Formats: sequence, C-alpha cells, structure tokens
Amino acid sequence: MSKINKKAFVLGALGLAAAAAAVTFLPMERATAQDPNNDPPQVWDAFGGNQQAQKYSTATQITPDNVRNLKKAWEMHTGDVSSGAHSTSWGATPLFVNDTVYVGTPMYNIFALEPDSGKVKWKYSASGNDKLENQGLKNRGVAYWAAASPAAGEACQKMVYIGNMQGELHGVDAETGKACAGFGKNGVVDVNAWLTTNAKWKIGLIQPPAVYKDTLILGWAGNDWVYKVENPGTVYGIDARTGALKWTFNILPPDMVNQTGTANVWAGISVDPESGLAFLPTSSPSPNYYGGDRLKEMPYATATVAVNAETGEVKWARQLVHHDIWDVDINSAPTMVDIKKDGQTIPALIQATKMGFLFVFNRLTGEPVYPIEERPYPASDIKGEVATKTQPYVPVPEPTIPDTTPPVSKLGDFLSFGECSRWKARIRDEGRYTPPSTRGSISWPATLGGVEWGGGALDPTTNTYVVNSNMVPQIYTLIPREEANKLYGNALRARGGYAAQQGSAYGFKLDNFLNMWGMPCWAPPYGTLSSYDMNTGKLNWKKPLGVVQKWGFYMPDSWGSITIGAPAITKGGLIFIGASMDSRVRAIDLKTGNVLWKQIVDSPAVAQPAIYTYKGKQYVVFAVGGNGILTPRLADQVVAFALPN
Amino acid sequence: MAQKHSTRGAWLIVLASLIAIVICVYDYYSPATGLIGTGGVILVAGAAVLMLLASLVMALMPNRANWIQTFLVVSILLDIIGSSVAGYFLESPVIMAAEALALVGWLMNVIGDAADRSVEIDDVED
Repeated sequence: MSKINKKAFVLGALGLAAAAAAVTFLPMERATAQDPNNDPPQVWDAFGGNQQAQKYSTATQITPDNVRNLKKAWEMHTGDVSSGAHSTSWGATPLFVNDTVYVGTPMYNIFALEPDSGKVKWKYSASGNDKLENQGLKNRGVAYWAAASPAAGEACQKMVYIGNMQGELHGVDAETGKACAGFGKNGVVDVNAWLTTNAKWKIGLIQPPAVYKDTLILGWAGNDWVYKVENPGTVYGIDARTGALKWTFNILPPDMVNQTGTANVWAGISVDPESGLAFLPTSSPSPNYYGGDRLKEMPYATATVAVNAETGEVKWARQLVHHDIWDVDINSAPTMVDIKKDGQTIPALIQATKMGFLFVFNRLTGEPVYPIEERPYPASDIKGEVATKTQPYVPVPEPTIPDTTPPVSKLGDFLSFGECSRWKARIRDEGRYTPPSTRGSISWPATLGGVEWGGGALDPTTNTYVVNSNMVPQIYTLIPREEANKLYGNALRARGGYAAQQGSAYGFKLDNFLNMWGMPCWAPPYGTLSSYDMNTGKLNWKKPLGVVQKWGFYMPDSWGSITIGAPAITKGGLIFIGASMDSRVRAIDLKTGNVLWKQIVDSPAVAQPAIYTYKGKQYVVFAVGGNGILTPRLADQVVAFALPN
Repeated sequence: MAQKHSTRGAWLIVLASLIAIVICVYDYYSPATGLIGTGGVILVAGAAVLMLLASLVMALMPNRANWIQTFLVVSILLDIIGSSVAGYFLESPVIMAAEALALVGWLMNVIGDAADRSVEIDDVED
C-alpha cells in the first residue's frame, strides 16, 4: 500500500472511531555516483532566474539518480524576521552573479554572500529613517545591473537594487555594498515623488525591478481594498546608473483616474532581450469588488501589456479579465518560450493567471498562439454593477484548475455537523466569475489563485512548462455602505475580513471557506503541480504538491497544499520547489512529477530557489522566509543544498 | 480492595514516556523537525506526561485496588494508541517508536498481571 493510501486509510479508520498505528519504513535507495562533469558557469541574475522569467538552470550535476544524496551545504540567518502585528513576508529569490549570492530581506537589508559558504561579504541597510514598524515588512529580493562598458577603477559599475515599503529604491555598489552616490540622492530614489495624483498611501517596492540594458523597469505594490479612488497604477523606466526617470507608463485612462485607481504592476516583470520588450502583468482597478463606478473599458487593467523597455511605448496589450470585480490581478511575470509548432518557431510568452489559465501569446505581436474563446458568464445582481457578459477562456493548454467549484468536503462537513453544506447552500455559486453579491458569492478561484505570483518555469530545451496552482474558493460578500458604516464605522479594515472600499457604494467582506474547526469546507486537492508540453499545449502530468500541515499534523499527500512560490527547473531533469505549507523543499522528477527528495526548512520557502554552479559544484539555494497567508511560521534562513564532495 | 498487581513493564512505560517527552520538547523548539511551536506536539507531550504519571503509579504502587489497575491499563492503552496515531500524522518515527516501546511495557504488565493471578488461583486450587 502506498504511503498516501496508508494515510488515507488511517484517516478513514479514525472516522469510524477505530485507531490504528503504523510505522513507515522509508525505502533505502542505492546511492549513485556523482556526475563528474563540470557545469558551465551560469548566473541566476534575476528574480525569474533570468529576465525572461524562465527559472531554468543549465546545471546537470544533480540528477534524478543522485538527488537523494543532496545535503545542506551551508545556511545563514539574516536576523530579519518578525512575527505578530508587524510580521515579515519574505518571498525573495537569491541572485547568483558576480561570483556572489545577493539576497534582499523584508527589513530591507541586502546581504552579499560567498556562494560556497554563505559567509557575509557585506551588508547594506535600506530601511531608511522611518521606524521599521511603520512599514510593511515585505520583500521579494533584489535586482542586478552591470555596465556594458565598465569604467575602470570607478565604483558602481555593477549595482544591486532594493526597494522598501516607503517607496524608496536604493542603488548599491555590488562590489562593496556602499550606496552609489550617483544614483538618485546619495543612492536613493524616492519613487513616491513621481506619483502625486490621488496618492492615498506610500507605494511599496516589494518586487525588484526588471533590467534591460541601462534601464530599470519598476512597478509597485499598493494597499488594496480600502478606497474607491486610489493611487493610479504606473510603471517607471529608470536610468540604472543615475536613477533618473526615463519614462512613465500610465495604466489607467486619464479620464478614469478620479473614478478608480491601482491596476498597478506589483508582480515581476519580464523582458525579451532580443526585441527589447518588457511585459507588464497588471492588476485589477479599485475598488476591487465593486465596479459600478468604473464601467468604462480600461484595456490595460488586469492585462498583459508589452511596452518598449527603453521608452515605455505600448507595443500590444491583452486584457485577460474584463471588468475585473474579483481582484484576480495578473500576478506573475510571463515566461518567454520559443514554441515549435507546425514547422515554425514562434517567439511566444506564457502568462499564467490566478484564474488558472495559461495564455500563450506571440510576444512580438500579442496574437494568441493557442486560441482564446470568449465564454459567457453570469450577470451581477448588484444594483449599479454590470458584469461583462463574456470572459476570455483558454481551453488549451488545459487550465490548472477546473471550471466549477470543488464539492463540499465530506470530512469537513461531517465534523462540523453540516456547517459546510449549509453555508454553501446559502451563497451564490456559479463557478468561475460568479459575481460578488450581498448574500455572499463563491469566488472560484479566489484571490489566492490559481497560479500565484511566482508563475511557472520553463525547460527551453524541450519547452516543458511547470507551474504550481492553488485550488481555493473563498466567499466574497458586498455590504451596502449604510450597513457597512453601522457595522464598522469609518474603519478601512476590520477583523473578519472586512475592507471598506471607502467612497464606493459597497464595503466588502472576505470569508475563508472553513468550518468551525478551521478545516477546509471544500474537497481536496488544495494545490497541484502541472507539467505541459508547450509545443502542443498538452498536459504531461498533474500531481498534488506539498502537504497541508495543521497543528503539526501532516494530512495525506493526495490532498496537496496551498502553495506560494514557484518551481525552478534544471537541465539535470529536476524541478526544485518549496512553496508548500509543510515547510519542505522538494526535488521532483521533471519527467514523472514524482518527489525524489525533500527536506524540512525553517518555514515555507515562498519563492523559487536560485540554482548555480560555483567552483565545479552545483548549489540550490532557497531563501526561507514564509508568508502569513500560508502559516504563521516565519523565518530568516538562507539555505544551500549540494551533493557531498 | 487493594491487591498486589504486577509492576512488570511499568518501568519500560516510564522510559517510553520520558523519551516521548524529550522528543516533544526537542520537536517543539527545533526548526529542523518541522514541528516547531505546533499544538500537535504539545498534545503528545501532554499525553506522555499523563502516561508517565500512570506508569509511575503502576511501578511504585503494586498494592492497588483492582479498579485502579483497570483504569491504569485502559488509560495507558488509549494513551499509546492516541499518541501513536498523533505520531503518525506528525510524521515522527521516534514518537511512534517510543509508543511501541510503551506498548511492549503495557503487554508485559497485562500478561504478567494475568499470569500472577493465574498462579494465585492455582495456589488456591492446590
């Protein structure tokens, strides 16, 4: 009996009030010889592994045959972790470039580390003058730029950049860790200064900028859900040397900025180095769950927008959710792929979305490589709201999640005396794009996805694309303003998932679809990992990923886990991924999807690892920081794995 | 009415309880276990403390009422079963091994007690 079935069996036995105990003997596998070849030098110089967001390493030393021998090579702790009211959220991917590992922390420090020992070369602090507790403590790493023709003997010919939640972008000499005086004002660019319209809050620079030649392309994160009119989404092109503003791309139409806001780019941006196009995944406009005041078409919102990386001029745009009233932001950097189809090579990109769709476009023209259908979806019953009659649907590649909400969990329902099924019967559930309502509507998938902000990884030698995806319904309820004021007063946010959407006709409440014991009311799996052949659009395999851990107890493998983070692929035929609730990192066979190795780390590793070869040895390095959405377990660990000598 | 009961196996249960407690403390404070700060570990630790107390009574009070012996035997068995299941879902082989050790002690005690009673009955019949 497989381990999965054993665990399921035990659960069933408990349900029948019987108890069983069993001991699992892990199979001892034959150790295989280490591949003696040395991998060619390769950098991991961007959040997505490269600017094309492929998350691919040419390293071949670690293979499916020897990965079981993988051991911790080094680890270090940054000290930058905080729980409670000011908890950290750390989804950084370390960079490996310039013979150094660079990692940004949620307290806005940059650590430069020795690649083979983790020893600190230097540390830079970008926390600024404001007390840290006044900031959200979030970070997804750093960006790196190097001058094409470096001036001999001058500083800052190679720079590392980190943003903070005060809207400051810091430029630091990659060699010394000193602020670059010629970048902005003494090494700091105040991006807030460029955003004066409806500036309701200071923008947060969580995601590092993309880099193209001497231009940084920078989006920002905001404070969703609280106002009807918020900071309008902008993307900036910035001179990598001086910090000067080169261009601004305004995502919202000018005549709509006093009706709405955001639609910003808070996720990663990818760049095609050949065409010089930058691809911007844009988010939904405010207020996120009621669109009655913003019915006019905004083609760049919840879209993928291709702009000239050096001018910001729009080349093409594709809206992937019309009139978004579900907050299903386009949330990951699209991945470049050269698709071999019908005897032709198509320069394409894959845009994974929270809706679980994989949109595949010709990256030069925006034309779909695999057809997009406009399918009808239900109408809103909210006064003033007009949900669009159709939404884009991609049948191929197969969506990562089904079209209908998962059934009620029998176990969750039984143990809550029918609470789950009673709740489900009360609310509106018509599958995808069920509009928010005052009685409560299922959001399927919810704001957690589908695919989260890590996106997928691509093996460009076979065009195998691997992506993790969540299966999480939530319940969205609109609360008429008068009632919201009675219940919550002027609060912008309140306990129980309330957000004001102040200025609009409705407040909003988000409920997790959990029973009285905190158990999911919907049937598993909760998270999957899928592999696709992008040349044909066919699904290779799809398997539950990770394990749900509650109060320390691990649930059956077949349930999978909600995941935040992304996979990385190696030429050696492996997928490395953390992301899951059970604080484990895994190596998975790229061909079969079988887990070949796993290791407990200090918390969920909510970003893809960096993979590099240094002095003949392949390293897989995770920044392990956690995210309160998954579990309260947070950490400050940077840990590298390698084969023993 | 107090009666002499077997103490065989009781010290083994004491040992198993102590192992479980130590492992739980380690699991609760060590990030490497994946169980740091978790309620499941506290649950098993609490059960191990109760089993320790029960087994100490078993070991140190051979003259005990039959109902106390029955209570100890039943509660220790339930403790072992519950902790084993918890150990399984905590994916902690050491907790499960400790519970297996406790089960051996429990069997020694139950069988020993039955054998002692059998001898007493034989004595009467002789």
